[in-house]
Amino acid sequence: MQLTINGQAYTVDDGDPNRLLLYVIRDELGLTGTKFGCGAGICGSCTLLVDGQATRSCITPLSAVAGREIRTLEGLAETDAQGNVIALHPIQQAFIQHQVPQCSWCMNGQMMTALAFLAQNPHPTEEEVVEAMSRNYCRCGCYVRIKTAVLATAEMLATQDATGGAA
Amino acid sequence: MTETRKDRRWRPTRRGFLIGLGATGGALLLGWQFGVPAARLKLAETFAKPGASFGSIEAAPTVWFTVAPDNVVTLHMPKVEMGQGIYTALGQIAADELELAWEQLQVVSADTLRGPVDSFGTTGSLSVMTMWQPLREAAATLRQMLLTAASQQLGLPVEQLTAEMGVVTPQGAPDRALTYGEIVQNAGDKWEVPEETPPLKTPADFRYIGQPMPRVDFRDKLTGVARYGLDMRMDGMLYGAAAYAPTVAGKLKSARPGDAANQPDVVQVVIEDDFAGVVATSRPAAEAALAKLELEWDDGPLLSMADIANLVSVGQGNATVIQKRGAAHRQLQAAEVSRQVRAEYRTPLAAHAHLEPQAALVHVREDRVEAWVSTQTPQLVQKTLAEVLGRDTEEIQVTATFLGGGFGRKAGTEAAVEAARLSRATGKPVHVGWTRAKEFRAGYLRPPTHHVLQAGLTPDGRVHAYEHQQASADVAFLFLPAAFRLVAGADFGATRGAPWQYAAPHVRTVAWRTPLPFPTGWWRGLGLLANTFAIESFMDELAYAAGEDPLTFRLKHLPEDETGTRLGRVLQTAADLAGWGSPSQGRALGIAACMDAGTAVAQVAEVSVEGKRIRVHRVHCAIDPGLPINPDGVAAQTQGAIIMGLSSTLLERVVVENGRIVHSNFDTYPLITMADAPDVQVEVIRSGDQPYGMGEPPIGPIAAAVANGLFALTGQRVRELPLVL
Repeated sequence: MQLTINGQAYTVDDGDPNRLLLYVIRDELGLTGTKFGCGAGICGSCTLLVDGQATRSCITPLSAVAGREIRTLEGLAETDAQGNVIALHPIQQAFIQHQVPQCSWCMNGQMMTALAFLAQNPHPTEEEVVEAMSRNYCRCGCYVRIKTAVLATAEMLATQDATGGAA
Repeated sequence: MTETRKDRRWRPTRRGFLIGLGATGGALLLGWQFGVPAARLKLAETFAKPGASFGSIEAAPTVWFTVAPDNVVTLHMPKVEMGQGIYTALGQIAADELELAWEQLQVVSADTLRGPVDSFGTTGSLSVMTMWQPLREAAATLRQMLLTAASQQLGLPVEQLTAEMGVVTPQGAPDRALTYGEIVQNAGDKWEVPEETPPLKTPADFRYIGQPMPRVDFRDKLTGVARYGLDMRMDGMLYGAAAYAPTVAGKLKSARPGDAANQPDVVQVVIEDDFAGVVATSRPAAEAALAKLELEWDDGPLLSMADIANLVSVGQGNATVIQKRGAAHRQLQAAEVSRQVRAEYRTPLAAHAHLEPQAALVHVREDRVEAWVSTQTPQLVQKTLAEVLGRDTEEIQVTATFLGGGFGRKAGTEAAVEAARLSRATGKPVHVGWTRAKEFRAGYLRPPTHHVLQAGLTPDGRVHAYEHQQASADVAFLFLPAAFRLVAGADFGATRGAPWQYAAPHVRTVAWRTPLPFPTGWWRGLGLLANTFAIESFMDELAYAAGEDPLTFRLKHLPEDETGTRLGRVLQTAADLAGWGSPSQGRALGIAACMDAGTAVAQVAEVSVEGKRIRVHRVHCAIDPGLPINPDGVAAQTQGAIIMGLSSTLLERVVVENGRIVHSNFDTYPLITMADAPDVQVEVIRSGDQPYGMGEPPIGPIAAAVANGLFALTGQRVRELPLVL
């Protein structure tokens, strides 16, 4: 079975199509930027993008993503042929600029959830950000800074669009 | 990828310093053991000169710094990065004294064989406080060695050289400047260790200390490059899972493989002593096969919540007086007392709920054991694995990975032990990562507590006598030998935050040790949140009983010493930030403070109520950690601790029914989300030139601040966590 992840084709064993996407990505393909937190779709740590939609990979079977575009944390920054980061994605820049994370285990899910949300709502109010981000846990309690950084990301993405830059 | 101590040879020099040659070269390494005075500083040196031999000695020095030819300076970090920012804070201290450019600095996790891993682990908000002096001395020594070497290389006296931004520059001859990397390459094995620790920088000259430097670990973490314990992978690695008791006090009675070995992708079933586990080629397969084992459990006592509350009550177990001034108990009814106040408080069992579960990758090999563990206590893991595997400690190499949260729960060794047993049985590297259900149901929890507070007030509203009797299940005692428990009497973890910081003629604090028949242990702040909730709620009750404003009442009871001065400053600052005395319409303010790990902190919570829902809109916090190494890091820890503490204040309680923890996931044990997270305004106060603890102190006051705000708003005094109207 073929998976498209971060624009790259991966072949995975298609023995059991009910295997959960999270384990396939982390354990079979070695993309460990997507994190396990609860295994029940509650905490949001495992969130990735499937055709741009925020998707909780710990409860998503492999069969549900066949032929669809998957984007993980590893696919956010611009990288060279060796996989070295050349340029960070605006949301990564914003999370660094506002020194958002602490342990950072949940931050994959926070950024992925925010990106899917901002694609739908590029100019959100603070209340809309809170509403969109309130199904992702952060045990370190970084919510104040996550909110600030998501709003900052919205502005950066808007500026980028206005100047014709690529996301 | 691994180098053992045997690969590196060391040469002793005069005064006990060591010069060595490594299998890998091209770098200067400076090492010395944690906690050892600077006078015994050891120096190790390696360089790329094939064939050079210095012979071998037994005691290889631990490596603190590596200076590479490309001028990258690596700090081998003895403390574990679990989100608290310790890589950055200690990096700042080192870079300052070493005179580095910030970009030169690289921080990596030390391992138990090669790095300066300390024996106590990363706990108790102690890292900066305990490392401050030794790290500065080590860095200053290395700076001096580089200057001396440069002086020889340039043929100029040291006095004419300046070390700055990783470069040694001669006065008036910038074109002859040498980078640290160049000095190391030129020096070969000729190093002079200063006879005494060179003078340390004065605060006026600090470049990085006290500045909001950006975290050194964020780029790797936010791009998915950073490796946590659950992310560790190795060629030929298998996945393991181990059974755990269905009851809190359960023990394995007998185990048979059942159908587990016949399940798909299962490699081996491992049953030894009181342990039963499965190794498979995938984690889900290992977990699924676990359910097919035939296990018999001794359930232990089938406790209910009422049983637990009865066991953990003042009057049960053993009492130790931990604070005594005057004769408080008798004086509660003294002639001077016009009014007595008594109140009881309770805090519940709680989970740590770090989002990265316990995780370890262990490879038990013939010559050594390699372990990468999501742990706060690498040396405890090393010691435990040596015992379990019957190996020498020196054969066991433990590296702490990044931690996806620790909060005291990653001071356990269970996942590493499970992985080690399964690796020994299969001869393959085995990775263990716990499920969320196991996180809730296995291992230790935050203990429940019970508090009985009494005070006698004089007619003019001053506390004449104060008594706090506190009962808690074990915290630190879980990790200490029985003999120590006898000597110590009171569990220093349970009593954290229990001594009263205010002034009165008669004060008594009594700790009742009321252990439970299942493990309870470290949780962020240990007893701090529970004790501060009780003490600072009670201070509020006393203020109202005395007819005094809660802020004024506190300020009037501060001791006339440094503690009093610092507590007074944070109380007044937090109150000023919050606009104390003039809350917004429909809201009320509650205040609370504590002193912990040398840090003074006060918080004012702005509270409202919608039906039965308690809303905390804003928290204003003033915090004085002495010398804040990284003020933005201090602010971040403060914001996070307040929000984590608020989760405990409003939501969290582990429920036990019929001996079983009912929770298997967050559906029945929700954590606070952004929807309920307040804005947190933090003012960081620098009060001196000595840094104090930061990871835990700000989790102390929040529960009491909210409860006090709630009382101000509704007149209802809630004396149990989580707060429910």
